[in-house]
Amino acid sequence: MTNLPLWFIPLFPLIGTLLLGTVSVISSGSKKGASEGIVGGLAVLFPALSFATVAILALTMPEAGIRETLCNWIDIPLFRADIGFLFDGLSRIMLLFVTGIGTLITLYSIGYMHGDRGFARFFTYINLFLFSMIVLVLADSLLLTFLGWEGVGLCSYLLIGFWNADIKNCKAANKAFIVNRVGDIGFLLGMLCLVTIGGSNLLNYDSLAAFVNMLMGTDTIKEVILPLSFAGILFFIGCTGKSAQIPLLTWLPDAMAGPTPVSALIHAATMVTSGVYLLARMGLMFSLLPEVQIVIAFVGMFTALWAAITGLFQNDIKKVLAYSTISQLGYMFMAAGVCAFDASIFHVFTHAFFKAALFLGAGAVIHALAGEQDMRRMGGMINKTPVTACVMIFAFLAIVGFPGFAGFWSKDLILERLFASGPILGPIFYVVGLGTAVITAVYMGRLMVMTFFGKYRGDKETESHIHEAPFTMLFPMVVLAFGSIFSGYLWADSIGITFFRDSLALVEGQAQAIYAVANPAIHVNPVIFAALGAAAALVGMFIAWKVFTRARIIGVKGASTVPEGSAASWTFLWDYIHSAFINMTWIAAWFCEVVVENVLQALQWVIASVVDILGEGASALQVRKVRLQLAISIAGVAILVLLVLKMGGLF
Amino acid sequence: MELQPMYVQILALVLFAIGLTVAIARRNLFFVLMGVELALNAVNLSFVGFAKTLPAEASVVGQIVPLFSIAVAAAEACVGFAMVIMIFRNKESVDADSYSDMKG
Repeated sequence: MTNLPLWFIPLFPLIGTLLLGTVSVISSGSKKGASEGIVGGLAVLFPALSFATVAILALTMPEAGIRETLCNWIDIPLFRADIGFLFDGLSRIMLLFVTGIGTLITLYSIGYMHGDRGFARFFTYINLFLFSMIVLVLADSLLLTFLGWEGVGLCSYLLIGFWNADIKNCKAANKAFIVNRVGDIGFLLGMLCLVTIGGSNLLNYDSLAAFVNMLMGTDTIKEVILPLSFAGILFFIGCTGKSAQIPLLTWLPDAMAGPTPVSALIHAATMVTSGVYLLARMGLMFSLLPEVQIVIAFVGMFTALWAAITGLFQNDIKKVLAYSTISQLGYMFMAAGVCAFDASIFHVFTHAFFKAALFLGAGAVIHALAGEQDMRRMGGMINKTPVTACVMIFAFLAIVGFPGFAGFWSKDLILERLFASGPILGPIFYVVGLGTAVITAVYMGRLMVMTFFGKYRGDKETESHIHEAPFTMLFPMVVLAFGSIFSGYLWADSIGITFFRDSLALVEGQAQAIYAVANPAIHVNPVIFAALGAAAALVGMFIAWKVFTRARIIGVKGASTVPEGSAASWTFLWDYIHSAFINMTWIAAWFCEVVVENVLQALQWVIASVVDILGEGASALQVRKVRLQLAISIAGVAILVLLVLKMGGLF
Repeated sequence: MELQPMYVQILALVLFAIGLTVAIARRNLFFVLMGVELALNAVNLSFVGFAKTLPAEASVVGQIVPLFSIAVAAAEACVGFAMVIMIFRNKESVDADSYSDMKG
């Protein structure tokens, strides 16, 4: 046990943000901008320090985790919130890869963003993102998590619209921000629900767990279960927004308008997995809500399947990866839906490595081709950028679940848990998951074939400039490639390594035990699952190789790489549904503006006129006629007295 | 023929009506005040008349209240006339209708 305080972890990126922000503001006037060496060095230093802190804490952490309350945040009657941090098995794993991969991608960005005028600004945002993400993961209460949640949303917005000279990028940023906001309303209302159920201390994760424990085995659970389910659904809506699940999945493909390192860091490896993190963090609560769990599993299933199918039809290399991210997130939600939170987080962990590697590889390809993103104008890159190609191939094998690679272990585990989750739904989830794995292999194979094999299809001018990426870009890619090979061995069930599960057992064990009691597992030899998973990967790769090496790909001039806004048809038609929703609000707005306002104004006018006329009439009585007033007042009193008499008394 | 309580009430009602009519209908302020006094005394009469219907011990209450109100009415008449005099000094008129300063 060291004496390192937990707040050191978010502190470093915060210092980095302030420092780099100052640099970028000061240098905004000069023509050349600040020195890239200094800015880049600073930008990498702070995440690296943060990573070092996490690593030391992770090694010395006591079994039960570290809890630390920094100070009081809000203290009003009926509501109290502290700024506190919680470092346990779950946040340890999340923080390790958030800061670790964050550092690597920052390093990569130095090479990628070389020569960009917004160099310092970019790294300011990246540091701010890491700060928010750390706060999100490290927070010990939902409220502080929400602060980080909003922070990463803001950074996502800023970085998607980083090249803000193009209106389309700005629109994509707006879309991401607004769609996320819809999800955030779910998060906020969920918190409100919890506060209504049991007061503000339910927002604290530990208190929530204690509350759930107290509920179990008592009769009050029947009364609380309905509002609790409501809260669960609302939190799940929040998660669908951040993690791009149905129905809020439309923003992620357009988010690819940002620089590629951003896509790798925010829109693949870290931020989009925060929804899964939240589900896992509140796992104990969700384990009490089987109906909500089924919803989660089905949403995950449909998202995984549809995003995989959609990935088959994309021509933009980054969009293929974006849809594959959505699809993989679908897997994680499916796993969370059957209470396999440890498997879910394990997939988050391995996915972070191989998806970051894929994105960085794609970034290196785009860099080599001077900004070309359309796969129809690539091809044969393996001869020109061999290192990138190797990294991509390793990551590719990991994502399709080739035996021995990271994705194989985690995806296999999820499929196994899905099958074991129940007698009826389990096999359905399993079959869809396996089918999705085949499709994953097909579209990823298509990406690899179109990018790295065959003949180069672009123009000659660009071809002469193709170059391998610089060292700062290659180094993180190689590290991540190693991660995509070996990170799976932290939990290789088939060969008996369960290190990863054990490290999460204290956080997730109870929730999963409750679920296991309610849904007795079906025991099937895990080797069968492993064999089927491997077969799915091989079949998919075979199909991809057969189909796409022969297919004639026509290099089209019209690029498909720009954000499509509301016209993106391949997001389960959800873009159209969103448009319909927005149109409905337009109609409602028109109705309010024209009809309601006019009616209200007419009503106002009528009332005002009546009062006006009455006033005119009354004022005629009041002028110069003292005796008339006296008579009227006496008559009034007489009428009152008569009334009281007729009614038979005052009361 | 014995005096019926009802006759006293009728007399009081007639006096009250006359007083009210005078207070409302006359423009001269002195008549208005006189009308008010008449109405007041009609009510006193009504009190006494009702007191007469009660047994002796209880009827004392009904006879005391008019005594009070006679005393109060004397004070009220003093104040009332003082006000009338002050208004007369300002307006040079005892016509109630000419006292309004309201425009419109």
